Amino acid sequence: MIIDIFHILRDNWTLLLIGQYPNGPLGGLAVTLILSVAGLTLAFPVSVLLALGRVSPIRILRAATSAIIYTVRGVPLVMFIFWVYFFVPLLIGTTISGFTTMLVTVVLYEAAYLAEVIRAGIEGLPKGQVEASRALGMGYGQTMFKIVLPQALYNMLPAMVSQFVSTIKETSLGYVISVNELTFAANQINSTLLTKPFPVFVMLALIYFLLCSLLTQFARWLERRIAKRRTGGPRSIAAADMSTAADPVGATTAA
Amino acid sequence: MTTFTENTSIDTMISFHEVNKWYGTYHALADVNANVAKGEVVVVCGPSGSGKSTLIRTVNRLEEIQKGSIVFDGQDVHAPKLDLNRFRARVGFVFQSFNLFPHLTVLDNIVMAPVNVHRSKRSDARLRALELLERVGLETKAGAYPGQLSGGQQQRVAIARALAMDPPAMLFDEPTSALDPEMVGEVLQVMKQLARDGMTMICVTHEMGFAREVADRVWFMDQGRIVETGAPEDFFLRPQTQRAQKFLSELRAH
Amino acid sequence: MSTKLDFSVLLREDYPRLIIEGIVTMLQLTGYAWMLAMALGILLALLRMTRNRWAERAVALYVEYHQNVPMLVQIFLWYFGVPTLLPDSVQLWFNQRHSEFLFAIIAVGLCMSAYISESLRSGIRSIPASQMEAARALGLSYLRASRLVILPQALRIALPTLVSHSVLLFKNTSLAMVIGVAELTYATREIESQSFHTIETYLLTTVIYLGISLLIMAGGAFLENRYRIKTR
Repeated sequence: MIIDIFHILRDNWTLLLIGQYPNGPLGGLAVTLILSVAGLTLAFPVSVLLALGRVSPIRILRAATSAIIYTVRGVPLVMFIFWVYFFVPLLIGTTISGFTTMLVTVVLYEAAYLAEVIRAGIEGLPKGQVEASRALGMGYGQTMFKIVLPQALYNMLPAMVSQFVSTIKETSLGYVISVNELTFAANQINSTLLTKPFPVFVMLALIYFLLCSLLTQFARWLERRIAKRRTGGPRSIAAADMSTAADPVGATTAA
Repeated sequence: MTTFTENTSIDTMISFHEVNKWYGTYHALADVNANVAKGEVVVVCGPSGSGKSTLIRTVNRLEEIQKGSIVFDGQDVHAPKLDLNRFRARVGFVFQSFNLFPHLTVLDNIVMAPVNVHRSKRSDARLRALELLERVGLETKAGAYPGQLSGGQQQRVAIARALAMDPPAMLFDEPTSALDPEMVGEVLQVMKQLARDGMTMICVTHEMGFAREVADRVWFMDQGRIVETGAPEDFFLRPQTQRAQKFLSELRAH
Repeated sequence: MSTKLDFSVLLREDYPRLIIEGIVTMLQLTGYAWMLAMALGILLALLRMTRNRWAERAVALYVEYHQNVPMLVQIFLWYFGVPTLLPDSVQLWFNQRHSEFLFAIIAVGLCMSAYISESLRSGIRSIPASQMEAARALGLSYLRASRLVILPQALRIALPTLVSHSVLLFKNTSLAMVIGVAELTYATREIESQSFHTIETYLLTTVIYLGISLLIMAGGAFLENRYRIKTR
């Protein structure tokens, strides 16, 4: 079986890596990574806003953002993809490609989950920080942007790497709307070969496994580094949560 | 006396013979030889790191020794065919941090071991548990949870829990060290009554008042050895060794 | 594009049947997968507690695999890949029944068991060693102490995470549609492609998913309250 995997890899590595480029659109692992990186990067500012809303002293803001986040977290990613696939073209008037659909989905979905990570970081910061800042006369906004967020984001770096891992896994659902990412590429190979589904999918699983577990190890290493730097100060609660399962609570679709 | 040997008689409840323990290269217990007679109350004291807690923890093998032997109520603690669980049930042990089971009520805490180790019937165990709670003054707290009790109350429940197994002897590992000062008294009260009722006890404690009142002997330990022993009045008024004198003077200074 | 929402569309033809069957299948998937995941999760956590090096490594690998490989890929591997390993007679048997239902349960159940075992493991780790010591000092065997003292406390501590994983498991059943299991999302697509009333169908499904998710979370909150370790 291992020989089979080796052969399949050898014969198809370009397809898996970059799709049919340059003879066709970009695909495979490249698309997976682009979707994940772009998705998370674009989601980041949105998630900061959502997180600020979640901890805001203004009740309506809190309620609204909580509702948004709960809704996104309560719906399966597949349904979410279908919603975006249907709705966005309506919104902007033109049809959009599967890739764009997936990108928008990832951005919105991850924004909600990242927001919870950031909120955990904000709430995990010792109260004394805010108290000291306000005692010095700094306003809410200044306190938040100059004192709280920088620390919260730094503390939550491991959890954010974890979210990146989740995002990579989520991109595999692009298959459902024929987005040319890694899982799609593997299925293409399987439909051509037909007689070797097991090696093909083991290979696919291995690729994801290598990629994601490396990143998870990186996240754990980050966590240790940060904890060491911060000895003397209490570790944020969510960072402790992070060490338990490689994903923050519920913030993974495992998909 | 700086060294001693005692005759082991049929009345001996616990005996340590040439007990040695190392943590790596650190010699935690060194050539400990001592006996506790039935009904005797022994207080073990000494500076921190002297091995006092380690010593009593070797009796029910919460700590293992590398050399020597320990006999408890006629049973060689390291006998190869020993049913360790049943044996441990016969050694009453009270921890410094009480270690009650927070998810069970006080009554269930006490009933846990008799039901699960001795296979007593639950109804019998409950009756006995209520008796013991009365003995330690907490019959009203049977349905409460440990988290709802004060430290002193928790420790008294812990004592009742250990007594539920009808042990021939009880070991106390700094039972009052984790308590706020105002609760120390209620726990010592229970322990004093136990002593008066004839229980064989080894207590690692700093409570010298307790030692003076009920202890038959004091063992002073330093650096893993029993350096001095004697009756409480003798030990406290006329410590023989330099190390004991130093320890007592530092204790009084507080 | 009409702006009027007409939910009565959903009552036509055999749409109600499709929807209800979809819901039933979804709940069945969730139920069986959850039981599998919990049973395995507890087993794995206990295995890890034995401090046997090989057991620890095996469980660690199991967890790493299931947490780092996408759920969809796991489903593919089970549904497309595993049957080819089995003898032909067994494969035939599978093809005659709806094996996709079975494999979906296995895939989701196994994946979530990894997460559950991690939750339990961290719950167990957060219990001070003195609890085990006290239990052993009373004469309880390692197994009894684990079962009566450690695990009950670990479950209580891990409850919030376990509830969250349960919601995740529930949502993940939607992926079964990719291999043709006729659960709710599958039914939704069917109805939508036939009736062209996308918004109504999607809305209904979304509300159902949201509703059940919230129900699970509410159930979890109730359990948390009931079994909370009481303090002053």
